[in-house]
Amino acid sequence: MKTLTRYFKVWWLMSKNSFMSMLTQKFGASVFIIGKLLRFGFFVAFIFFLLKGANTLAGYTFNQTIFFFLTFNLVDVASQFLFREVYRFRPLVVSGEFDLILSKPISALFRSLMGGADVLDLITIPPLIAGIIYVAGFLNPSTVHITLYILLIINGLLIATAFHIAVISFGIITLEIDHAIMIYRDLTNLGRLPVDIYMEPLRGILTYLIPVGIMVTLPAKALMGLVSAQGVLLSFLLGLAAIFISLRFWNFALTKYTSASS
Amino acid sequence: MQMFLVFFLWSSVFSDPSRELFGYNREKILTYVFGILVIRAIVLSARAVDVAGEISRGDITNYLLKPINYFRYWFTRDISSKALNLSFAALEAVILFFLLKPTIFIQTNGAILALFFLSLVIAVLTFFCLLFLVNIVAFWMPENGWAAQFLFIVIIAEFLSGGVFPLDILPIETQKVLNLLPFPYLLFFPLQVYLGKLTIAAILKGILTGIFWVVALAFGLRQVWNRGIKHYEAIGR
Amino acid sequence: MVDHLVKDFEVTQKEPGLAGSVRSLFSPKKKQVHALKGISFSVMPGELVGFIGPNGAGKTTTLKILSGLLYPTSGLSQVLGYDPWERKPDYLKKIALVMGQKNQLWWDLPAIETFELNRAIYEIPKKRYKETLDELASILQVEKLLKTQVRRLSLGQRMRLELIAALLHNPEVLFLDEPTIGLDILGQEKVRDFIYDYNRKYGATILLTSHNMGDLINLSRRVIVINEGRIIFDGALEELVGRFAKRKTITVYLTKEIDIKEIEHIGKVKKVQFPQVVLSVPRTTAAVAASEILQNFPVGDLTIEEQSIEEIIGKVFKGETPAKAKG
Repeated sequence: MKTLTRYFKVWWLMSKNSFMSMLTQKFGASVFIIGKLLRFGFFVAFIFFLLKGANTLAGYTFNQTIFFFLTFNLVDVASQFLFREVYRFRPLVVSGEFDLILSKPISALFRSLMGGADVLDLITIPPLIAGIIYVAGFLNPSTVHITLYILLIINGLLIATAFHIAVISFGIITLEIDHAIMIYRDLTNLGRLPVDIYMEPLRGILTYLIPVGIMVTLPAKALMGLVSAQGVLLSFLLGLAAIFISLRFWNFALTKYTSASS
Repeated sequence: MQMFLVFFLWSSVFSDPSRELFGYNREKILTYVFGILVIRAIVLSARAVDVAGEISRGDITNYLLKPINYFRYWFTRDISSKALNLSFAALEAVILFFLLKPTIFIQTNGAILALFFLSLVIAVLTFFCLLFLVNIVAFWMPENGWAAQFLFIVIIAEFLSGGVFPLDILPIETQKVLNLLPFPYLLFFPLQVYLGKLTIAAILKGILTGIFWVVALAFGLRQVWNRGIKHYEAIGR
Repeated sequence: MVDHLVKDFEVTQKEPGLAGSVRSLFSPKKKQVHALKGISFSVMPGELVGFIGPNGAGKTTTLKILSGLLYPTSGLSQVLGYDPWERKPDYLKKIALVMGQKNQLWWDLPAIETFELNRAIYEIPKKRYKETLDELASILQVEKLLKTQVRRLSLGQRMRLELIAALLHNPEVLFLDEPTIGLDILGQEKVRDFIYDYNRKYGATILLTSHNMGDLINLSRRVIVINEGRIIFDGALEELVGRFAKRKTITVYLTKEIDIKEIEHIGKVKKVQFPQVVLSVPRTTAAVAASEILQNFPVGDLTIEEQSIEEIIGKVFKGETPAKAKG
């Protein structure tokens, strides 16, 4: 328990530092936010007009489709909020500062994963949640559904965590992680709309391999009461397995660490 | 990668092959999607995204000292980049074509094709001017030069040029406003011409608007550039 | 006080595959780099040891293994009774690593913010933290800089703040990698004085690596010379000079120009800049050489000196065998 409080305190301080660093670049930060808001707005408008004309998308109504989109954003933004530091990992290793992180009595994994919580993303989360609750209202979910939704979202975040851990483990070994991250982002972006629209084998890949389907589409479906008990169970198992494997991988990667030369 | 999203999206909307929506049928919409892939490589790929970086690092001084026209230098680099990207896009299109097997609409009317090429040329020039303009903001904001680029090119141009969805799904009034801006002429308009969805009159109107924008942007670019250079030299980097 | 022995540290083969690997798309050729070829030494608590060696010799690698960053391919190392590789938090709380020109301070923020963060990471009680901070800040004369954004400070100032950041938790062992690199003469002196005082005052064991002779001459009594992954010398600095300095330097100031070739008979000419000529002669015959010069050449002034430490060490690197002991 004591360790947990300590880690939380460190995370808090790091996020605070991160936030303060960001404030010194106000202009860039605001442009970024505006850009993100615009992109979000454009896509919503798109869905709106599309469904106005087409009525359904792969069998889902407008509200449902919007809900999928919102859920996607929640998972996406939450993982960017927590794991923004992963994008800075490569420069960290290349410059040798990773050494300094390794030599501290705090898990280097923790530090490299969550050391740079992005406040800008944090700001966009409450409105997202508000939006989700609003739209969900139209879908009339039962309490069971809602609970499942929340649990599955957490599971989705677990998978995202596992993925980020895997990425930085790769980063230790090869340094070529920027591409890995981009591919990840591209693939998860396919989850903006319900995975059902994709044909096999793409849908299979998205559900089981890079489990965007499980991270995003599944929770939303759960809310709408469209999932089976097996499906849910399977996805939890996947989430746990993913974390386990990625942690193993990280430890392995450390033995291969070569450090920037001097 | 986004191709998949867009392609399957429309595939699913038009899963019934006889459906007609927003003036598109399945064939036309899928052609649109593939067309965007190719045209994007021609119009939107550019190396001039590096200009802001060159300015903020001060590297631009080297070029100013040399007897070359900075614009032409970058334009040539852009063209070569476009050629490269075009070959990749063509490859991608072929692969995706065989994977997804859509029916594609091939334009056969010679006059229309000619106008199509003309619109492409206009698109390339427009984008160049736009991109450059947005980059030389770096003269005044070296730290944040990337910001304008991000906002305008990555976000605004992506959507408003028809890169994500064809602009005709938007209500008529909105479309009218958009057509006054340069963005639709980058991707959407050329594709519309190709698909034969416009009357000759509409095509000509569009081309004229496009030309207007090229001229206006080029002129504006020149003005801003001169001011920017003066500012740059005043700072003395 | 826990015995701090680093024993039997034999690392035979390390395989980073970095140095000069030729990469091709399909078959990357990885060269095995043997960074450390079996080195052993031990250090007593409170000692100040300097590691010296040319680039790529393995001194930084040694430090990194001892601080738990790198995984030794084989061999043992033990610091303060711990195996560094396990990186137990308790171990890490007792050591500190400072690398010249690598920052742990957050760039856009004042140093004090990083210090607070470290306080939480190392779990330093508030009172002790404040005492240590005040003391270190006053010794290093940076009290006024604590609240300034780190990016606005000069390299020397930043280095001093980095030192504080590393010492807030009163480590028992301090690993310093090139601490004076990039600093001007004054900055170097300040850092050296500080390190020396810290060692005396707190009894912390200090291992430092450097290229800078000044660091070694002024700081460490004991030096370990590493070259190509092996220890070539381990002992007092005076001994190093004694064993390896086989030549002396004679500096002559001439009153008239001469034919340089004549003076080349007497010794190796190292530098000619009229009226100065610098020669290097074997130690044993130095006196004879000097009198020869005085007799045969128009000399205004003449001095005989020991070889500079730089030259001596340079020779050691090149693998010259020492005068008496085996190589």
